[in-house]
Amino acid sequence: MTIRREVKLLRHGRDWRGRSTVPKSAQPHELEHEDREFPTAWARTRVAVAARAGLRRTLLKPVVWGQTTPVVEGTEYLDGVKGPVVFVANHSSHLDTPLILGSMPERFADRVATGAASDYFFDVRWRATLTAIFFNAFPVERYGSRRLRSLALDLVDQGWSLLLYPEGTRSEDGWMNPFKLGAAALCVTKGIPCVPIALRGSYAAMPRGRNWPQPGKPRVTVRYGRPLTPEEGEDVRSFRVRMAKAVSQLAAEEDIGWYGALRAAADDRLQIPGGARPTRPGALKPAEEPKAEENGTAAGSPGEQVAHWRRIWASTEPLGGKRRKVWRD
Amino acid sequence: MSRPGFVLDVDERTPPLLMHQGEGFRLERLPLGAKVIYPPDSLPGIRNVDAAIKHALLNPHGTDPLPELLTPGMRLTIVFDDLSLPLPPMQTPDVRQRIIEQVLEMAAAKGVDDVELIAGNALHRRMTPAELRRTVGDRVFQAFFPEHLKNHDAEDHDNLLHMGKTKHGEDVEINRRAAESDLIVYVNITLTAMSGGAKSVSVGLASYKSLKHHHNVHTLRHSNSFNDPPNSAMHHSYERMKGLIDEHVKVFTIETTLNNETFPSSMGFLNKREWEWNLRDQASYVAVKRANELLPAKTRRRIWQSTAAPYGVTGVHAGLQSEVHPITLGNVHRQQLTEVNGQSDVAIYGLPYICPYNVNSVMNPILVMSLGLGYFFNLYKNKPIVRQGGVAIFYHPVPNEFHPVHHPSYIDFFEEILTESTDPVLLETKYEEQFATDPWYIQLYRNSYAYHGVHPFYMWYWGAHALEHLGDVIFVGGNRKTTARMGFRSATTLADALEMAKDTVGSSPSITYQHNPPLTLADVR
Repeated sequence: MTIRREVKLLRHGRDWRGRSTVPKSAQPHELEHEDREFPTAWARTRVAVAARAGLRRTLLKPVVWGQTTPVVEGTEYLDGVKGPVVFVANHSSHLDTPLILGSMPERFADRVATGAASDYFFDVRWRATLTAIFFNAFPVERYGSRRLRSLALDLVDQGWSLLLYPEGTRSEDGWMNPFKLGAAALCVTKGIPCVPIALRGSYAAMPRGRNWPQPGKPRVTVRYGRPLTPEEGEDVRSFRVRMAKAVSQLAAEEDIGWYGALRAAADDRLQIPGGARPTRPGALKPAEEPKAEENGTAAGSPGEQVAHWRRIWASTEPLGGKRRKVWRD
Repeated sequence: MSRPGFVLDVDERTPPLLMHQGEGFRLERLPLGAKVIYPPDSLPGIRNVDAAIKHALLNPHGTDPLPELLTPGMRLTIVFDDLSLPLPPMQTPDVRQRIIEQVLEMAAAKGVDDVELIAGNALHRRMTPAELRRTVGDRVFQAFFPEHLKNHDAEDHDNLLHMGKTKHGEDVEINRRAAESDLIVYVNITLTAMSGGAKSVSVGLASYKSLKHHHNVHTLRHSNSFNDPPNSAMHHSYERMKGLIDEHVKVFTIETTLNNETFPSSMGFLNKREWEWNLRDQASYVAVKRANELLPAKTRRRIWQSTAAPYGVTGVHAGLQSEVHPITLGNVHRQQLTEVNGQSDVAIYGLPYICPYNVNSVMNPILVMSLGLGYFFNLYKNKPIVRQGGVAIFYHPVPNEFHPVHHPSYIDFFEEILTESTDPVLLETKYEEQFATDPWYIQLYRNSYAYHGVHPFYMWYWGAHALEHLGDVIFVGGNRKTTARMGFRSATTLADALEMAKDTVGSSPSITYQHNPPLTLADVR
């Protein structure tokens, strides 16, 4: 073998300093550091709140509203509500938080803290800093691996409203995953109301893996629902079901209208994510074939496992069913 | 603490891996998903070896301290492992020299006059005076050579003593001087789990008459593996013989274990895991490999053969063999044992330049076979790393070269016997006796530096278990003629070898590469 080929073989996979990548199976096991939690208290000081309000008005909202066409409904339900409350929403895109923060009344937007995955948003310093300053984020343990005490209870005690995504992660295909118990447990133990929010179209606008919205100002809808208050003696699991139902109902409004969604909820025809099976936001149960067909999405037929591509296909369907007008009438 | 051994899964982040290939080495990119068995990192050596030896001699297991066993006027015989251990030879001073010097100091203090030193070489070639001097050191050599520092002669019938037969009818015949001593002090190096223990005296000092009871095809096929003494028929036989020897003579055993510092610092990359090579390792890899290829064959061999390992000593234990050997085996396992999950369809081994029988000599094709299918294949506990009917791929050029002085009977074995058959049972029944009793081979064994006439047969039996177990054997880069003569096949590249293995194991076999040396003992679950 010539020396050049020998060196080429030797250099394979090594950087200019001659360091090789370490095979996955050879990486040393590292114990998690229990003490390294990114401090976020500074992001809730008066100065930081003012800075965040400025950033939201001058940067976040103009950019998001410039790149998408948000339709916001139901903010009137918040009129008489006093904080703290827990906002819960379905989650399928990085657009979700800016859309919610940009669309909610200012008095809430200034006093809301967002639960963000500690393993993703708080793993490196620069990302943690940006997330904290823009979204008033606090770290949430998704997998319970580090057993950190959650900040959520303290924040509620301090009068902060919370924005939580009970699915625990961004959806991979735009469909809703089953809700975890945390948000419901928080509402029940603290006796505070929960405001359901349904987002439609944000997956189509900016799915996982994209870092900028799709071109063409796609339409996204943000619907606020009537606040739900845990009833006397209501347990966490049944409150979680109510919560999921409310979000599903709001999502269904996009397809079948406000009254249709009310009727579907009353007749118990809404598909609610449960078990390990995701559902299309706003999908109806299969018994109501005619309604489902009205929706025009065969992939919405729930209750069975649907192929991955069909889920994405259904999630990326443009909202409103018609193209955006370019010219004014 | 040293890192334990582990099994690597080859992924896209894995750099090309090192393979030994005779008097050379190469980098090879293994297929994704292949497993690679690495030994534990080299253990730290004992800092003060002399103090450890003294402590072992004064605090032995299961017997009185050595000085109390020594009396004026006694017959003391010190036996030591021959040059087949360790591999490669260790940098001087050899640990055997350190031990023998301390034993002799104690013997001198006690007024022991009748001391004899014997190399336990059995049917191996005699050690040359230079080799003896290197092993026991200048002081001992000058004081005892040649009258009282000798090689064991397994064909000197006047100086052999038949002690009787074991309950299985095995003859026990060992060196008369040792057998009639008041005390045998055996100085051992346990490099692999097969050596040491009962093997020391019952094999090292034995004759052909005694050795043929365990060095045969039947025993070796039932030694699975011979590196796992409880599952080794060969070691059961050693134990029976040792029992008989213990009735006649007292043996004080000193066993030592070494770490995995197999190559000197100039070739330090051979001791390291490939993804941990720094720029210096990479530069020395390219330089050493290039220089190795450019050197004339003779010089290349001389340089490889003069390589000495900077081994550290990981344990010195003395006393009764039955109490010492379990501790020694524990030390060997601590350094070499790696747990492996399950067998695979294909096993890959890179065969290095040295085996126990070509120190300062030539690795002939029979020795390549014995190193690959004997020693390396048997570096397992419980189960072989390759399944029954699987394929073994070895890296070695298998040149058609023999050392005419050291291996005369090998030449005849290769040219005349292997042309008839490669079946170990047939060779054993038809030809073994003839080679073992050939007067010319005996003459060369006793007076020249030749391995005994029967030795090539033993080498072939060494691989008998593997021959029975494996579906196919392929040598990458192997000489076509010599590999074919031995009943194997040769391939130019690993890809070709895997292509050839398709007939036996299909197109997507599971592959395990045992990264040797430094030595790894696979504990297959």
